[in-house]
Amino acid sequence: MGVTQHDVIIIGAGVAGLTAGTLLAERGLDVALVAKGEPTACLSTGCVDICSLDHEPLHGISHLPEEHPYHLVSRGVIREALIRFQIIMEEMMLPYSGSLENNRLVLSALGTYKTTCLAPVTMAAAPQNDDDDLHIITFTGLKDFYPSYIIARRKNSSFSAYNAGVSTTMGLAANFEREDFLDSFILWLEKTKIRESKIALPAVLGLESAAAIVKIIEERVGKKVFEIPTIPPSMPGRRLFNALKDYFRKKGGTIYWSWPVSGVEKTKNIIEAVITPSEGRPNSLNAKAFILASGSFVGGGLHARRDTIVENIFNLPVFNPGKRDDWFDSDYFSLNHTIGKAGIIADSSFRPKDAPWENIFVCGGILAHTEVLKNGCGHGLALATGHAAAVSCIGYLK
Amino acid sequence: MMKYEHCIRCTICVENCPVFRVNPDFPGPKQSGPDAQRFRMEREKSVDKWVLLCSQCKRCNMACPCGVEPAEIILQAQQRYGLQNPRTLAYLLFANNYYLSALGSLTAPLANKVADTKIGKRIFHAMGITTYLPFPKFSFKTMKSAKKKKSKSAKKVAFFYGCFINFYRPDIGRKIIRLLESFDVDVVLPDQWCCGLPALGNGNLAIARYFAQKNASSLSNYIDAGYDVIYTCTSCGLCLLHDYPGILEIPQAKKIAESTYDLHEYIIGLIDDGYIKPQFGAVKRKIAYHIPCHLRALGIGYPAVKIMNMIPGLEFNIFDDTCCGLNGSYGFKKTNETTAVQLGKRAVSLIKKTGAQNIMADCGSCRMQLGGLSGMDALDPAEIICESLGITDEK
Repeated sequence: MGVTQHDVIIIGAGVAGLTAGTLLAERGLDVALVAKGEPTACLSTGCVDICSLDHEPLHGISHLPEEHPYHLVSRGVIREALIRFQIIMEEMMLPYSGSLENNRLVLSALGTYKTTCLAPVTMAAAPQNDDDDLHIITFTGLKDFYPSYIIARRKNSSFSAYNAGVSTTMGLAANFEREDFLDSFILWLEKTKIRESKIALPAVLGLESAAAIVKIIEERVGKKVFEIPTIPPSMPGRRLFNALKDYFRKKGGTIYWSWPVSGVEKTKNIIEAVITPSEGRPNSLNAKAFILASGSFVGGGLHARRDTIVENIFNLPVFNPGKRDDWFDSDYFSLNHTIGKAGIIADSSFRPKDAPWENIFVCGGILAHTEVLKNGCGHGLALATGHAAAVSCIGYLK
Repeated sequence: MMKYEHCIRCTICVENCPVFRVNPDFPGPKQSGPDAQRFRMEREKSVDKWVLLCSQCKRCNMACPCGVEPAEIILQAQQRYGLQNPRTLAYLLFANNYYLSALGSLTAPLANKVADTKIGKRIFHAMGITTYLPFPKFSFKTMKSAKKKKSKSAKKVAFFYGCFINFYRPDIGRKIIRLLESFDVDVVLPDQWCCGLPALGNGNLAIARYFAQKNASSLSNYIDAGYDVIYTCTSCGLCLLHDYPGILEIPQAKKIAESTYDLHEYIIGLIDDGYIKPQFGAVKRKIAYHIPCHLRALGIGYPAVKIMNMIPGLEFNIFDDTCCGLNGSYGFKKTNETTAVQLGKRAVSLIKKTGAQNIMADCGSCRMQLGGLSGMDALDPAEIICESLGITDEK
C-alpha cells in the first residue's frame, strides 16, 4: 500500500475545504486535499451569502437559533475570513464586491432578487431596486434563460438576441474566451440600438477571464454590464471553484482527484490515515490532522438511509432531526424542511462532538443546524467555519 | 458501479466535458450517458451516432459527485453502436492500430516516407484520417530488441511499455529500463500486445478483449513469479486497472490491478521503503506539466510531481484542467479534427502564458499533440528524471 505523509488532509474540495486548505497552505503546512468528485459550489451562483435574513448580515446571524454553527465563530473571525476571501479573489482576477456591513441584491433569471453579501464583480452592476432600466441580451437557442420573465416584472426594459452559433452556457463561455468572438459580439452590440442605461446578460461571459471580459464590453459600449446567474451549468460557480482551487495549488497545496475515501486507519484517539480503493489496489495517505469538509447530502458528506442519517467516512455521530416523518415539510417549496438541520455537531474547537479522535475537525455544509437555504448562508458559513476549523487545526499541530 | 438512475442531473459532468465545450454536435456526458441510457433498449438498434463524439477522457467520471460514471455508460453505448452499425475505415484501422504500427515499424524507413508525402496524406484523408499533426515516426528498433541483463535484485518488474513507446519512442523505453536498473531493480519485458484501449475507443469490444486476454495471461505469469508490473503510458495503465476488471471482464484483472504500478508511483515506493536514496542533480528547466486526463482518472494523485519536487532547479506548473484534445486515435479522425485542434490550441495557449520552455506529459499522445501544436519540446517525466540522475541516451 502506498503511504504518503502530509501535515493535514482535507476531505472535500468545496468552499469550506478550500478555505481551510488555502489558510493552512499559506501558513507553510503540507496540505493535501482529497475529493471524490467536484463540489456543489460549481452549481451555485458564485455569490457568497452570509445571512440573508436581515439587511445587515451580522445582525441576521445574531437572530439565528443558538445551536447554529455560526455562533461557534466570533464576529472578528467571520470578518477576517471574508476579507481574506476577497484578497484571494482579487489576486485570482475575479474580485468580489460587497461588504459585511450590508447585504446586496443580485437579479435572478426570473426577474426576482436574490439577497447576498458578496457578489462576483461581473454581477456588481445588478440593479438594487426596480427603477433601473435594463436591456437584456440573450442568445439564440439558449435554453433556460427567458428575458420575458424579467421584462414582465420590470418597466423600461427590453431584450435582443444574439446568434452566436452555439446555444449552451458552457459553449458560449468557451467562445467568449476567444478574442475574435468577443469582438464580433461587441460590434453587434454597438449596432444594436440600446436606449436603456444598463446591459444584462446570462452568466456566460467566459470562464477564465470573466471580470476582464465584462470590463472590455463596458468600456467599448459605454454602459454598465452585468451577469445574471443561470441554472447549472453555472459559470460563476465554476469560476469561484477554479479560482480557489488554483490559489490553493499556487500556495503549495496538493489535490488528489478521483479519490473517494473508503476507509480509515485509526487508533483509540487518533486518525492516522485515510484510504481510497483506487483502481484495484488501495492507496492511503497519512497525516497529523484531518479536516472533514465533505458537504451535506448533494455533496455526499451526509447520507440518508430509510430511517437514519449517517456520515460514511468516519461514521461520526450525526444529529438526526427526529424520525423520517419529521424530516420533510408537506410543502415542497418550503424552506422549513427540518432535514436541513441534520449534520455533525461540532464543539468550539470544530472537533465533532462525542467522537473519540483529537485530530479531526469538521466544517462547512456537513455541520448540523445550518439550514443553509432558510438562513441564506450558502458559501458564507463555509468560509467562516472553514477558516475557523483551520485555525483550530493549526493550534492543535503546534 | 452506480447506475444511471443515480444521476441527479446536476450537470457538473457537462461543465467538465472538453468536447462539449467546443463541439455543439455533442450533447454532453449527461445527455449521452445517463439521460439517453433510459431510452436504450436491448431489442432496438443503436442509432445514437453522436456517442462516437465522446473522447473517453473520463473527466465526467471524475467530476460526478454521485459516482455515476457517465463515460462508462457512453463506452458501453459506443461498443453497441460499433457492433450494430457498419464501421468506417478509420474506426477499423485504429481499432487494429497495433498491427498497423507493427507493420509500420517493420517497414519503418519506407512507412515514414510514405506518410510524409502528398500521396500518403491524400490516402490518409480518403480514409478519414487527419494530418494536422505529422504522423508519429515509426521506429525500426522496437522495445523487443532492448538488451536483457540478468541479475538477482530484491525488486523485479515486468515492464508494460505500451505501443507508443514501442513503435515510436523505444529510446524512452530503453532509458526507463536503465533508470530502473540504476535503482537496482530487475526489468523484464514480458510478451505484450496493445492494451486494448484503441479498440475500445473505436467501438470494437471483441478486438479489445482479444488483446486484453493475451496480455492478462502473460502479465499474470510474471506476477505469479513475484514480479510487479509497471506501466508508463497512463492510458495503458487505466485500461489495465480500470477496463480489464470492468467492461472487458478479464478473469485475472484483480490480480493484475493489485500488482500494477505507474512508473513514478513505483519509484516513490522505492524511496519510501528506503530501498533507494537517489541523489538528484539540478535540472535547470522551466516546465509546463500537462496532466493526462487518464492519469487524473487513475486516482493515484500525480506521482511524478513528488519526484519533480526533489529535483533542484526544476521549475514547473501543473495543468490538469485542460484536455489536450487528441485522445489517442480520436483526434486523428477527420470528424474530430476541429474538436482536437481547438482543445489543443487552448491547452497550448495556457501553457505559453507561463513562459515554460518545455512541456512534460506522461502520455505519448498528449506529448505528440502539445508538442506538435506548440513547436515546443514535449518530454516524458522519465526523461527529466534521467537527466537529473545523469542517465544519458544510449551510444
